[in-house]
Amino acid sequence: MDIKDISQEEFERIEAYLNNSLSKEDLLIFENRLQNEEGFAAKVEDIKTVLTGIETQALKEQLNEFHEDITTQEKETIQFNPKVKSLQWRKIAVAAALIIATGSFWFLNRNSNDQLYTDFYSPDPGLPTTMSSTDNYEFYEAMVSYKQGHYKEALNTWTKQLKTKVENDTLNYFIGSALLADKKESDAISYLKEVANNDDSVFKNDAFYYLGLAYLKNNNKEKAIEYLSKSDFTKAKDLLKKLN
Amino acid sequence: MRETLKTNNTLQVVDAIKRNDTITLKRIYANNYPKIEILVLKNNGTKEYAKDIYQEAFLVVWQNVKQDKFIPQNESSINGYLYTIAKNKWMDVLRSQGYKKTIVASQMSYFEIKDEENNGMDDDILKDKRLEDVMHAFKNLGDACKSLLRKFYFEKKSMKNIGKELQLDAASTRNKKYRCMQKLRQIALKNN
Repeated sequence: MDIKDISQEEFERIEAYLNNSLSKEDLLIFENRLQNEEGFAAKVEDIKTVLTGIETQALKEQLNEFHEDITTQEKETIQFNPKVKSLQWRKIAVAAALIIATGSFWFLNRNSNDQLYTDFYSPDPGLPTTMSSTDNYEFYEAMVSYKQGHYKEALNTWTKQLKTKVENDTLNYFIGSALLADKKESDAISYLKEVANNDDSVFKNDAFYYLGLAYLKNNNKEKAIEYLSKSDFTKAKDLLKKLN
Repeated sequence: MRETLKTNNTLQVVDAIKRNDTITLKRIYANNYPKIEILVLKNNGTKEYAKDIYQEAFLVVWQNVKQDKFIPQNESSINGYLYTIAKNKWMDVLRSQGYKKTIVASQMSYFEIKDEENNGMDDDILKDKRLEDVMHAFKNLGDACKSLLRKFYFEKKSMKNIGKELQLDAASTRNKKYRCMQKLRQIALKNN
């Protein structure tokens, strides 16, 4: 079979036949040729194979890409194994000693920071809530929850109120205090900072002190010292002495 | 209601396979490979063997779905079919002469498949010599032609869109495609 004897027109007609897109009339003529013209059926069959071949090879190449993706994922998870095998026990021992040394240093260090934190931290006592002074019922209702140690309830109300009063230093300060009391030091920090940056706030001194404590709890000694030294409280100064 | 939904889902998978939808094909590929790798590794094979026979099996399943030779009920029946074909292919490799020298029959105990299972299951188009030649020719075709034919026959992009990408009018695109096709067939014949 000579491949040169397929014209573009013929090729496109065969392709249309294979795609079922011939018109009724053309289909009749085509089927007639298939039956009667010598070698025509073989020609059609060959084009079909060529089209299948292109598609199959294209997919085959894509399968290799799929495969690479699978095996890279696999490598990322098991990569550690062969490396460990090739290490000598001596190196492993050195590494283990190092890990234990840094680990225990961190552990002891953490412990002393934790200890200082518990020694010095007591939640802000909150604001007095006598009925006569309340012009903001919801706020003081939450303050009652706060004083009773129901920090989450208090936070619910206050964070809702903060949405309309973003810069209110009282809200920011007590949200920060409640978060700190609820052991969410990292969350507390951003609220307390809001207060610490507000020069007019009556809570500024307290904010410095509690920020220092929050950083201490997070093992950030540098920041803890930075904020504690800004506070006028004697307990802040006592704590600083212990840290230095 | 549930029946219709199921049928729709089946149709969607089959339809996606016929369209060569990358996401679907990749999902099926990734979901089934680990099982085949375990099978081959447990039975005297290597990862390279596992990859090769798995890809062959995958192409067979894909072709059979396209040609409606295998009509899956759902995706898990595709998974089962794929596993069976890969397993049979691996059996063939183990039985082949080259492999027999290196292993002892007793090591093949994991397999308890009967020969009947093989019947008609993997009507393997890849064994066609002519197809193999075409695939090889396409692999080595120049980049421009390869990319054009790939877009047309694998990605199933329309003539109009391909023309746009190449900044050609419809007639020139069709002619280019025809000439690429001629080139491909010439290379494929030379290999013979």
